Amino acid sequence: MMKDTAEKMKLVTHFIAGYPSLEASFDTAKGLIDGGAYALEMQMPFSDPSADGPVIESACRKALEAGFRVGEGFKLIERIKAYADVPLYVMSYSALVFNMVVQGFADRALAAGAAGLIIPDLTPGTDEGLYEAGRRAGIDVVPVVVPGVSDERLSEIMAEKPDWVYLALRSGITGSYTELDAENLGFLDRLKKYDAKIMAGFGICTPEQIETLKPHCDAAIAGSFIVNRLSEASTEKGGSGIMHAAKDAVEYLLGE
Amino acid sequence: MENYFKTMPDSEGNYGEYGGSYIPPQLQDEMNKITDAYYSISKSHQFISELRSIRKHFQGRPTPVYFAKTLSEELGGRIYLKREDLNHTGAHKLNHCMGEALLAKYMGKKKLIAETGAGQHGVALATAAAYFGLECEIHMGEVDIAKEHPNVIRMKLLGARVVPVSHGLKTLKEAVDSAFEAYLKDPVTTIYCIGSVVGPHPFPMMVRDFQRVVGVEAKEQFSEMTGELPDNVVACVGGGSNAMGIFSAFLDEDETQLYGVEPSGRSFKPGDHASTITYGKPGIIHGFKCYLLQEENGDPSPVYSIASGLDYPGVGPEHSMLNDQNKVNYVTASDEDCLDAFYTLSRKEGIIPALESAHALSYAMKLAQEKPRESILVNLSGRGDKDIDFIVDNYGVRE
Repeated sequence: MMKDTAEKMKLVTHFIAGYPSLEASFDTAKGLIDGGAYALEMQMPFSDPSADGPVIESACRKALEAGFRVGEGFKLIERIKAYADVPLYVMSYSALVFNMVVQGFADRALAAGAAGLIIPDLTPGTDEGLYEAGRRAGIDVVPVVVPGVSDERLSEIMAEKPDWVYLALRSGITGSYTELDAENLGFLDRLKKYDAKIMAGFGICTPEQIETLKPHCDAAIAGSFIVNRLSEASTEKGGSGIMHAAKDAVEYLLGE
Repeated sequence: MENYFKTMPDSEGNYGEYGGSYIPPQLQDEMNKITDAYYSISKSHQFISELRSIRKHFQGRPTPVYFAKTLSEELGGRIYLKREDLNHTGAHKLNHCMGEALLAKYMGKKKLIAETGAGQHGVALATAAAYFGLECEIHMGEVDIAKEHPNVIRMKLLGARVVPVSHGLKTLKEAVDSAFEAYLKDPVTTIYCIGSVVGPHPFPMMVRDFQRVVGVEAKEQFSEMTGELPDNVVACVGGGSNAMGIFSAFLDEDETQLYGVEPSGRSFKPGDHASTITYGKPGIIHGFKCYLLQEENGDPSPVYSIASGLDYPGVGPEHSMLNDQNKVNYVTASDEDCLDAFYTLSRKEGIIPALESAHALSYAMKLAQEKPRESILVNLSGRGDKDIDFIVDNYGVRE
């Protein structure tokens, strides 16, 4: 049994703070943790999530329409960390981070117990000081990279010395199925020469994909797949269904 | 004269602290390709001469500068109108659409995608697509579709597909979100043709450069007519494309005062206007930094104006910088001011202006009374045919 656990692929599970409600997003987090998630990626909803597809975008919109505030998101992190000590990454967009002042956002995330920040539209060089703020606060800033990136740009990004790097397995937006092929898997191997650990995502929705990724990276990320499962549960079963749906989704992806 | 343009924007698309490119890396790649293509293709002799010929023979440029004699005599001052309403399709928007579509053709793209507010940009882009034999997909909020019916029909007649956007306030901002998303699904064969001097680099620069023809022509025409430069230049500002177009020729001229007129809508309460520079603070929207009307979170606020082409919570990054540098005065005109100017120009000069342009005109009329000895050049950015149903239905016809 020990061996089995050690060999299991790490799964980073994405969810949206405030979706379908603040309380239900706490239940979601608990379900994800109980299902065996290695880490959580918590998205702070923004009305124009430019890297996200329709599933996540519409969920973010619902959270905002229900009155979600960033402050509540940080409080939610505290509650989740009190429930279980899993690494939690805050994912959001530049508009929110800039609005709170970059250093303020990093400090607040750290104080709440977050392990890192994933802000896809603040990239090294045009990051509004995010990477510096992260270093100062002592919180990991996870850069997002895509397979087409040039070697030159890649070494600029990796010069920030992140603990983790987030690989988007294809271009475009989140949600639709990603074919794992020589190009994106080959790129994962190109990333290995750097010290950073690799989490890979975009279009991950089957245990087979995760199995395929296993030799190439340190963790897989699942997002839209889980949000989809939640939205089905929230319309069908209501409150308690959410936690089970989250747990089931993780267990399915981990092949249990 | 060329000083300003040599330095703005910098190579990263920054206008001082504004502009830039705040987009995910998978999108940045595509933007870099557009930037590279723009720099290499648009400076070529072939591109320049093709665009010049299109402007002359297809668009009907140069558009005239017209001295509004009756209006000037009644109000004081000397009011001149740069007649972009006479540009083919009835607004300045075609200037950058032909440029963007020509660039798309040189890049081998098959399809143009864009959003539209009042429908002016959509009609102009559909026209450009028809001219070049490209496909065209226009995203438009359902509220605007109902309000700007004639433009919707025009786009369809021109062969474009109009995609209704039904979320949020169903206006311009949501249309931008939707169009961007559609573009991201297929960035290889499509190109996103933004409708104003907004968005990530290189769009604010590209649209300004293509619109600059308005200012260059107007400056020369005005000088020929009067032997001098205008004392004041006035343009309406939503995203700010027509304003950047005309201002860009006067930014190095200290004797000319520039005025950008924002819509103050129904009132100064949040949600009732779109006076972005007047009431906003710096923020990030649609991949660039600018003055922004925003909520506590940093989300863009709901905005409103009687003119669909002006209700945007952000504003061009260059306008944001020019405001901070005090090179342009940003002022406001309300719905009521706009309607007064709309009727005044229609009845005194026989020109029905677009509701957007009527904001600029309204401020120019005020200025004429305050400065009776000065000349005022207004960018009459579009004609009002598209607005007449809306006005009659909602406000009736004035006696």
